[in-house]
Amino acid sequence: MAQETSSSREPLRKADVNIKLSEFEIPPMQDILFVGKKAPIGPEAVRRMVDAVSPEQYEIVRLNHETFEAVVVKKSLLRLLPKEKLLPVVIEESNRIADDKMVLKAQINITIQVSRTVDL
Amino acid sequence: MPTVKSLISEKLYTIDPLASVGRAAAIIERYGIGSLPVVEEGKLVGIITSRDVRRFHPNRLVADAMTRKVITISPTASLTEAQKLMVKNKIERLVVTSESNIVGIITYAQIMLELGKYTDSLTGLNKAEIFYEKALELLRRGQEIAIIFLDLDNFGGINKEYGHIYGDNVLRQATIILKNLINMNEDTLCRYAGDEFAIVTTRSLAAAEKLARQIVTAFANENWPGKIKVTISAGVAGGRRSKIRECGKDSSYIVKNLVNMASLASTKAKRLKKPVVVVEAVEFKETACM
Repeated sequence: MAQETSSSREPLRKADVNIKLSEFEIPPMQDILFVGKKAPIGPEAVRRMVDAVSPEQYEIVRLNHETFEAVVVKKSLLRLLPKEKLLPVVIEESNRIADDKMVLKAQINITIQVSRTVDL
Repeated sequence: MPTVKSLISEKLYTIDPLASVGRAAAIIERYGIGSLPVVEEGKLVGIITSRDVRRFHPNRLVADAMTRKVITISPTASLTEAQKLMVKNKIERLVVTSESNIVGIITYAQIMLELGKYTDSLTGLNKAEIFYEKALELLRRGQEIAIIFLDLDNFGGINKEYGHIYGDNVLRQATIILKNLINMNEDTLCRYAGDEFAIVTTRSLAAAEKLARQIVTAFANENWPGKIKVTISAGVAGGRRSKIRECGKDSSYIVKNLVNMASLASTKAKRLKKPVVVVEAVEFKETACM
């Protein structure tokens, strides 16, 4: 067995650099953000973040809920569907998979179907 | 009676709402304090406690972990006011503010320790200081008050004949009788001094006299140890106040006046061998100050 001596060479050290480039989302959230009660960031931090990067585009709704402390909603969604209709549905679905330590983002697609009849 | 101001510690630590919970936890631990007022641009915006820093992630902003509704008290408030405020709101700390400036924090434990000094160790009743404070508080609220002053008859003789241990037992038993007869919602009882008790009540003068008579009768009918006879004399005084406002000079003269009249009435009752002597209502028109 070869013995390493004081005269042996230093081990060869290399570094591989992998680069992934992608566009940063502004804001780094989609349509809705759920803030868990014990999440590492709270509603005030989220409010300051969205106010800084997307002023006046999001609304923060504080909740009295078992899992979530607040929900941040894109205001444009609320023009399609009032929050009284939208939030119960999305909160119920999110609550199935989330716990109170999580911050969860959700993408929402709302399709409005209208059928109207006009007199000929 | 000391006020809230006397309990405030000199050094006050505060924190910014944009600091992290981790930073708040470090300050709380380092200085061994229970809570930090949260101050933004010199304005009190919340309070974060040692319990909050355990509950929330250290990365959170203090603003996301603090209690926003802060119960505050003036440094000139009495300790009993502070204690009631804490019990009512189920909190253990009060932020002391003066003209929207934070002066300090006081805790429930501090208040109870201080109030303990104003509790009579033999009977467990309030001492006279609390009695005066209660009377002043009622006057401040614009309520009519009456004072019942009660003086055990020949208590010195009982002590001399049966010994002070027996005398102490008489005082304890007297306390039980009095507590059973008063209504906590209307009456505040104290051991005024030695063998004297006093009640400040919101009852009318006539109702206060009725209570005094019930007390005297209860003492006469009580089965005292050793089958000795223990009696008590009562003086009742009440006053109407037409104009009371706060000012800088000595303020408690109405209460002192009523106590004085009631105590003299009880002495008169003793001398005349009447159970109760009532002093007619007096119209107070002068300014009363706190």
